[in-house]
Amino acid sequence: MEKGKISALQLAMMMYPAIIATAILLVPAITAHHAKQDMWLSPIWAAFTGAITVWIAIRLHEYYPKQTAIEYSAQIAGKWFGNIIGFVFLFFYLHASGIIVREYGEFIIGNFFIRTPLLFIMGSMILVCAFAVRGGVEVVARLSEVAVPVVIVVIALFVIMLIPDMEIKNMFPIFEHGILPSLKGAIIPQSWFSECFLIAFLLPYVANQQDGKKYALFSVVAICLTLVMVNFTVLFVLGNITARFVYPVMSAVRYISIADFLEHLEAFVMAIWVAGAFLKIAVFYYVLVLSTAQWLRLTDYRLIVFPIGFLILLFGNWAAPNVMELSHFLGTSTPFYLNTVQTVIPLLLLLGAKWRHRGKKA
Amino acid sequence: MKRAIICFVVSISCFLLSGCWDRTELNDLALVTGIGIDQKGKEIELTAQLVVPKKLGAGASMGGNNSGSSGGATIVRSGTGKTLADAIAHLQEKLPRRLFWGHVKVIVFGEKAAKAGIRAHMDFLSRNPQTRLRSNVLVSDKTAKSVLELLPPIEQSSAEVLRELSNSQILMNITLKDVLQMLSGETGAAALPMVTLLPIEKEKTPLETIAYIDRTAIFKGDRMIGSIGDKLTRGALWIRNEIEQANITVSLKGAEGKITSTIIRANTKLIPSYKNGRWKMTIDITSRDDVLLNATNLSLYNEKHIHQLEKALAQATIERVNATLKKVQKEMHADIFGFADVIHRKYPKQWNRIKNRWDDIFPEIEVKVKANVVVQRPGMNTTPQGIPEDEVKK
Repeated sequence: MEKGKISALQLAMMMYPAIIATAILLVPAITAHHAKQDMWLSPIWAAFTGAITVWIAIRLHEYYPKQTAIEYSAQIAGKWFGNIIGFVFLFFYLHASGIIVREYGEFIIGNFFIRTPLLFIMGSMILVCAFAVRGGVEVVARLSEVAVPVVIVVIALFVIMLIPDMEIKNMFPIFEHGILPSLKGAIIPQSWFSECFLIAFLLPYVANQQDGKKYALFSVVAICLTLVMVNFTVLFVLGNITARFVYPVMSAVRYISIADFLEHLEAFVMAIWVAGAFLKIAVFYYVLVLSTAQWLRLTDYRLIVFPIGFLILLFGNWAAPNVMELSHFLGTSTPFYLNTVQTVIPLLLLLGAKWRHRGKKA
Repeated sequence: MKRAIICFVVSISCFLLSGCWDRTELNDLALVTGIGIDQKGKEIELTAQLVVPKKLGAGASMGGNNSGSSGGATIVRSGTGKTLADAIAHLQEKLPRRLFWGHVKVIVFGEKAAKAGIRAHMDFLSRNPQTRLRSNVLVSDKTAKSVLELLPPIEQSSAEVLRELSNSQILMNITLKDVLQMLSGETGAAALPMVTLLPIEKEKTPLETIAYIDRTAIFKGDRMIGSIGDKLTRGALWIRNEIEQANITVSLKGAEGKITSTIIRANTKLIPSYKNGRWKMTIDITSRDDVLLNATNLSLYNEKHIHQLEKALAQATIERVNATLKKVQKEMHADIFGFADVIHRKYPKQWNRIKNRWDDIFPEIEVKVKANVVVQRPGMNTTPQGIPEDEVKK
């Protein structure tokens, strides 16, 4: 079905925006709400979920090296039950893609195009992603390779340009109420990290299998470091009012003013956000299309790219009636929702695989 | 056939190249450079300072031929309403162009509006996606409108004047972000720069003056409760570790005339301590100075005189800071220095017990001020210039 091959580095570069893109916008406010001045610690705790998820995906991959999660769940749980698990994955990725597209649309409309219809913004993004997905895994991977370095450089530039406005004292006192607030603040970001399970669908296409595992963990570390850096920046600049903003990173970047002319830089946030969201949606979209084709046992996935794109648009529209509800959903339900599907079910699959392979040398 | 379809799709997409359907051209926008907020009875009056694009830059191109144009590069328009947003709607009615808030440099509160409470306005200003947290916030001693309608002689708008004055940090420099942080912080107090109109010179029209920052408005909660003058403000800047430029003039014992020195670098540490249920705060100031002017007959190449000078400078600083403390801590009971934050950082456990009583505790805190001044260089002169050699006291 998918003949393309990607390199291990490309795999890491696909994972990075797949988590960062939305995590640096809505999540700092949610983390700050719980963790206050310890918010910079939360991504570190959260990264453990990412590492565990990656480890599960890798172990499963070792049992079934040529198959994606949809294919091996049928092997592990039996045809009938495996298909149900497959359907859960499909439905989950459809819903998750819809939510991501909605987050993208809400950010663009909330900050820039206040009067543009939401459907238009979401639809144009899905259309562009559809072309990338039709091109296959290699095209998505190469797009990541082009865009991710730019995203990283721009984020780093923002941090550097905000240094004059940083107040280190905002991070004290550390552990004012013990370690608990920072752990609470980690609950939401860790559900973002569980999205690392995407590699279970991509690992079979990695040319160099040994490096694939290494780079998957490497991308978890890179994501963690980026989030820590971004949280530090936001905390140092905005301090006690971080949680009061819907998009703290955006508010912080708008605060940049160097020598009275290097200011009004929010267009760059928009640029990296659009690039990051594009990659994130493309990766989710690709995984969704590929798995659907495998689940339906089609010979080619290209046929269903556009129909599924339409479904994502609908789910994006249905995801929530307004931003408040979307944010509430992300701030309360996601840990259960994302973790159940992307960490707990894979863990059960892994146990099942172990049981099936008992006695045999893996 | 396939080629025909591709051609069709490509030509269709050309229609999209003309731009967005809801584009707003620059000449349909009214760029706001400053916002003024006044209280008029129960209503809010919003004054917007707008750029007149025709006039902006006319000065450069027309050279000396601008005598005919009496107006400046900006105009002001006001609207009133129950809330700020309501006032904006009324203001928009009077304008042919759409208001655009992305270039707001300053937000000025009239004194009445400041005394009535600024929280609701702050919410609007930070919620609006166009306004910026970087805008400087100030309080006017009359109405905000009277400040914004000025046509300053050098800068293009009075908003620009206020922004430059704020950024020079001679007195307070507070942005919208700082105000939000102070209002939602632990101290329960805030300090904003306050502007006064320069008296009008003879033969000039009333609008040809400038407004300048010369006081500081003190807020408790979101309401202004009073103001302090420039000297006391400088004292507050010392405590807040925000002092950038300062000249201190002292006279030494046993010498006529005065010596002025300027600060090169200054740093202030606030050190809280807690003993037997009593809070103490030590303000530890260190500064490095250069001599700017010496009107005495003392030679500043003498180690002894320099030490004497350093002591006098330290004493002057301490007196300045103490005067500020007396007024703001003992009389106004407003913690604009951030003592609460310092205690919170150093004693988080005790802080949680006292934070509800902070308003009662703050005026009772015993404050000790220490200053350590080091004079490093005498400037270009060794001994005082302009007096005979034998009158110099070596």
